[in-house]
This record gives sequence, structure tokens and C-alpha cells, in this order.
Amino acid sequence: MAKNEIRIGGLGGQGVILSGIIIGKAASIYDGKHATLIQAFGPEARGSSCSAQVTVDDDPIGYPYVKKPDILVVMSRDAFTQFVPNLKPGGMLLYEEELVDPTDLPKGVKKFGIPATRYAEELGRKLVLNIVMVGFFAGVTGLLSPKAVEKAVLASVPRGTEDLNLRAFKKGFEHGQRSVGV
Amino acid sequence: MEMEGYPKYVALKDGEQVILRPLLKTDEKALLEFFVGLSERDRLFLREDVTRPEVVKGFIENLDHDTILPIIAEHEGKIVGDATLHLARHGWTRHVGQIRMVVAKDFQHRGLGTTLARGLVRHAISLGLDKLMAEVVDNQIAAIKAFERLGFQKEAVLRNHVRDIHGSKRDLVLLSNDVSHIWETMEAMVADFSPTLGG
Repeated sequence: MAKNEIRIGGLGGQGVILSGIIIGKAASIYDGKHATLIQAFGPEARGSSCSAQVTVDDDPIGYPYVKKPDILVVMSRDAFTQFVPNLKPGGMLLYEEELVDPTDLPKGVKKFGIPATRYAEELGRKLVLNIVMVGFFAGVTGLLSPKAVEKAVLASVPRGTEDLNLRAFKKGFEHGQRSVGV
Repeated sequence: MEMEGYPKYVALKDGEQVILRPLLKTDEKALLEFFVGLSERDRLFLREDVTRPEVVKGFIENLDHDTILPIIAEHEGKIVGDATLHLARHGWTRHVGQIRMVVAKDFQHRGLGTTLARGLVRHAISLGLDKLMAEVVDNQIAAIKAFERLGFQKEAVLRNHVRDIHGSKRDLVLLSNDVSHIWETMEAMVADFSPTLGG
């Protein structure tokens, strides 16, 4: 597998950083790859922009910063506006379709949307929208084995919330698979 | 709404095996037999006269898993326990679920009630609920203990609220289990904020 650079962007309170941690954990601990994570917070917890940079590779990673991501995951309009200019041409955009209207994309970008917030609300808690998004990421990209991501989700969420988070993961994963015609 | 993880095979305290599974529309006859077989004392705590076939038929036909999630315990083809999680999908108590439960006399004091309630508590949390409630008459000591083992606490007592089989008024105990702390932990994890990290 070639090196894959991923940027995840959204607002504080959407679980952006946890998404990055789960993807990195799935790759490095449960899928036998190498992964790095850089996290950036805004000055406040809620509502300010934040992002995670995740690099996944079969080989050791020498430089962890993501300048031109192959995959951009956005959960808010601000994150889309801020990060899409640097998305690699021919790359992949995964977005929260009820919050982001993806226009003016770099050439050849494939885009995939999901109503992650609505799905999370339907499942019972809006705060699992990031896990829906992680499932969607796994379903669309095929970059990581679903089992590895599932294990990473279960290892990363508080005790007692596993079932809801697992349902959130599956919801996103299935939507992702449908989106790419699997 | 789907109930994952069922059917489930569980062993009671004495090793007896029972199957826990969601109630199905094909269970009408078995459910009626179960209710008819309950002692009058146990039936007294139910809200409807479940020995009437039309009541059970109506219950089965109007099964709406968005508002009521019924789990039954089955042993040798017979229903021996019935537990339901009641949800208010709209309005000011939609974060609260209520558990109701009844167990056949031969299966009482064998851990079946605790097992049934545990399954519903876990399912309620997976639905994102904040709080669970159960109503128990004050002399149902075993039921109170079963709920307390699952984290329920006495929240209120309604004095002389129900009449028992002898016509005596008894207190109704409202038990609650506040599980919102689970979600507070999750909320902190998705806050995307650290006072020491940043950039």
C-alpha cells in the first residue's frame, strides 16, 4: 500500500480528533501498518475549528505532517472551505452532506457524502456522528479492514457506550459501501 | 428498531438454560398461556387484564419497536418471563426509558429477572437513553434487589399508591438508574479540546 495522507476537519465537539485517533489506531495496532497523528485544536472546546492529520503507510513514516491530503474528511462547512484547496487532485472527499455543499473541487476529486449527523441522531446520540464518519471512511476507502476499525472503535470509546458506537460504525460503513457500489 | 445480540442463550443461577429473544408476532398463543399461568398476585401488578385473549392479541398486533421493546425468556418452548423497555420517542421524557418485567412463578428467585433486566439496561444505553425507571411494589423485595444490582436506586416512594391482592394499600417504589455519566465521558472525548495540547 502506498502512503496515504488523510486530513479530518470539523468543529470542536464533533469528535474530529477521536476520529483521527481511531483511524490511526486501526491502522497501526490492528492492521499491522504504520500511522502518525497530528492534532490541532482551536482556542475553545466547542464550535471552534479543529483538525487531525493522519498518515498511514506500510513502511515507517518519516514526516508526519499532511500538506496535500489524498483523503479529506470534513464535518463542517468551515473545514471544507479551509482544507479543500489543498486536497490532492484525483483525491477523495468524504463529507457531511447536510452541512457541506462541495463545490469548486480540485480536478479529478471523487466525492462521497453522508448525512452523518442525522444518522447519529436517529441512532440515539448526536455525539456518535464521528463514529458514523469513521465507518463511512472505512466503507468508502477500503484502506483499512473493517474488523480493525471496529476493534479500534471498541478500544477507544467509554465503557457502556460500545453498542451504540458499534451501531454508529456499522451505519456509516454500510452507507460507505453503498456509495462505492459494494 | 432492531435488537442486536438476540437470541441469547443464558444459564440461570442453578444452571437451567433459557433463551432470551424479542417477542414475535407468532408468540400470541404462548404469551397468553404465560399470562394466564401467572399467579393472581403477580398479575395484579400489571396494568391490563392480560388473561383476556383480545388484550394479548392487541398487544401483539400493535407491537411498535420504536416505543416498546419486549424481550421474552423461553424455556422448553414456553414463555417463562417477559420484560419490556418503554420509550417515549417524543416529548420531555424522551431521554428516559421504563422497564417492566414479570417472571413465571417457577422461575422466580433464580436470576431470570436480573438477566432480563440487564439485557434491557444494556439495550437502553445503546439507544442513548440518560435514565431508566422501574416501578416496584414495596414488598417485591427480590425485584428491588435485582434492580439495585443493576445500578438502580430508590428515587421516590408513592405512599398507599397500589392495592395488593388482599385489598390492602401498599407503597409504590420508583427506582431509577441515571446512566448519563456514561454519555458525559463520551462527550468529553469528542470535545476536541485539551488545555495542554494545541496548535
